Amino acid sequence: MNGDSKWGVLGQYDWSIMAPELTILVFATLLSIIDLLLPKKTDRRIIGVLGLIGVIISLIFTLSNTGTQPASILADMYRLDSFAVAFKAIFLTGVAFAFLMSLGTLDKKDVHYQGEFYYLLLTALLGAMFMASSADLITLFIGLELLSLSSFILVGIRKKHIQSNESAFKYVVIGSISAAVTLYGMSFIYGLTGTTNLYLIAERLGNVYQGGFSYIVYLAFFLMFVGLSFKISAVPNQTWAPDVYQGAPTPVTAFLSVVSKAAGFAIILRIFIIMLSNVIDIDPTTGEMKSLLVDNLGLYIGIVAAASMIIGNTMALRQVNMKRMMAYSGIAQAGYLLVPFATFTVLLFEQTLFYLIAYLFANMGIFAIMALVSKDQGHDEIRGFAGLFQRAPLLAISMTIFLLSLAGIPVTAGFFGKFYIFLSSVARQNYWLAGIMMATSVVSYVYYFGVMKQMFMRTNPNGVNKIKVPPCIGIALVVAVVVTLFAGIFPSQVIDYLHNNFLFENMMQVAEQVVMK
Amino acid sequence: MSGQYIAFFILSLLTISGAIFMISFNRVIHMVVALAFTFLSIAGLFILLEAEFVGLTQIMVYSGGVSVLMLFGIMLTQHSKVERSEQKPALRIFTFAGILAFFVAVFYGIQKTPWSQEAVDYSTQNNVKEIGVQLYNNYVIPFELVSVLLLVALIGGIIMAKKEADDE
Repeated sequence: MNGDSKWGVLGQYDWSIMAPELTILVFATLLSIIDLLLPKKTDRRIIGVLGLIGVIISLIFTLSNTGTQPASILADMYRLDSFAVAFKAIFLTGVAFAFLMSLGTLDKKDVHYQGEFYYLLLTALLGAMFMASSADLITLFIGLELLSLSSFILVGIRKKHIQSNESAFKYVVIGSISAAVTLYGMSFIYGLTGTTNLYLIAERLGNVYQGGFSYIVYLAFFLMFVGLSFKISAVPNQTWAPDVYQGAPTPVTAFLSVVSKAAGFAIILRIFIIMLSNVIDIDPTTGEMKSLLVDNLGLYIGIVAAASMIIGNTMALRQVNMKRMMAYSGIAQAGYLLVPFATFTVLLFEQTLFYLIAYLFANMGIFAIMALVSKDQGHDEIRGFAGLFQRAPLLAISMTIFLLSLAGIPVTAGFFGKFYIFLSSVARQNYWLAGIMMATSVVSYVYYFGVMKQMFMRTNPNGVNKIKVPPCIGIALVVAVVVTLFAGIFPSQVIDYLHNNFLFENMMQVAEQVVMK
Repeated sequence: MSGQYIAFFILSLLTISGAIFMISFNRVIHMVVALAFTFLSIAGLFILLEAEFVGLTQIMVYSGGVSVLMLFGIMLTQHSKVERSEQKPALRIFTFAGILAFFVAVFYGIQKTPWSQEAVDYSTQNNVKEIGVQLYNNYVIPFELVSVLLLVALIGGIIMAKKEADDE
């Protein structure tokens, strides 16, 4: 009926499935105009509050799509499936936390451009959301760049802070190089298959691989994987993390460590799982058929995971700065999160999601408390946590819960997250990876417990004055504690929910092109 | 040896030598000139491959825009000799070994792969028209996303470059 509208083909699609992205886009543009029109003296937190409302509206739109059939616009240029919904929900929650944190602790003297700060967070979020819900290399890459570019500026937004300038510069240089490497890998794939649509690539790549181009397929995989490892701060590309985390304002650090990293995992899983799904390696001597991704590349991904766990956890031991410690801890966590991908099972999606949820709430909680403590102390050193139990017992107890969750101690979400990942590694008889995972987890107890030792057993030389908790940070902490404990005590409920509502097969299904009725 | 081959040889030589001179020159102004050579030769390579639209865009965006922008940058900043910090020899060797290994890996791959010998003929198609149709139909979502990206770059550039008035 709408076939001959003046919009042509574009008028035939049901654009309402894009509502979460459009909400964020509208809010980001509106906020930039409001920021322009507001008088200079007005408190810019009003923009933050409006941004938070936008994020929540978008989250409602996203969650209302849970469990629907996959749908797409313009041949998977935009794709809505359970994979996209799950990851977008994680990004939106993470950004909501970053907003609460900024509203509570951001200092006008420190960050001069408060209005810009909030809508750059929104554009970064928009990029992340497109990284999760597209099946086309071009859209995915532009989403990646939008996220990167916004985060470059957010990292360097403390202009009078020399460390912030340095870290922004490092981030730009390493980010651009890794983007170039990713793009170089993608160009090989485009050259081999003649398309950027992931499903068409998957169809054609199997034949291409058999037709003597296997070396180029490997080369493209490694280039793309190395380039994308920048976003998840896994081993070949992890060096930027400590400096950048240290220089960025704390809410931005939290954003980078959770949302940016989750977006990296979204794009890695989406591209490689679909792209290589049909590529089968036939052993020339025995004629045995193997899946390239599951059987051959798993080893290399496992090596990257193991190296990230080892380097992250051992380097974290030596840190005295809390942000640097969390950066190395984040590198190690990226290693854990790669384990389900390396030991590919049908449970991959649930394992990754469960672990990401545990990681999201624990990390966000830690950064929120850190933001309060470093604002109170004037520095980010671990010794600033000394005597936190006497000064603010509730903060100290919630901090302990988050640290235990990251370390993977029972009764917290982190324990079951690690346990599920560990199980799949053992089930695939990948004992060396499981062993490294165990050993490095034990190492990680040392530095996580080091923070607890400061909180409970040391007294602060600056006295025992109480720390005032702003209400928005209080809300964030309560939510984070409740989810961490709930997912730790009733993990099967969470897993069942994920299993029933976010089907993994959904990602591979051909989506119907939504057409307006 | 066809004319195309000779043109390819000259253009690729200019591209590579421009890039090498770019990093080995000491004065910023010389670097920009070397870089402009690289950009122009890449545009030539595109035209050789019958991608004339990309070639012209390359000239407009890079050779024109970026080079002029860089010249402005030089004029507005100090343009004394760039001081080079001496690298540690171990680091140099390590970097060189990494680059060499990467080159060998890619070169081996290109030599080993049985590329199709027939050249694809696109001369009957109207490149510019096809690109326009694709861009505003199939690729309209990334196209719009790029406009957000440019907006972010613009805002970011202003934030980074603006001198703050301390009267607040």
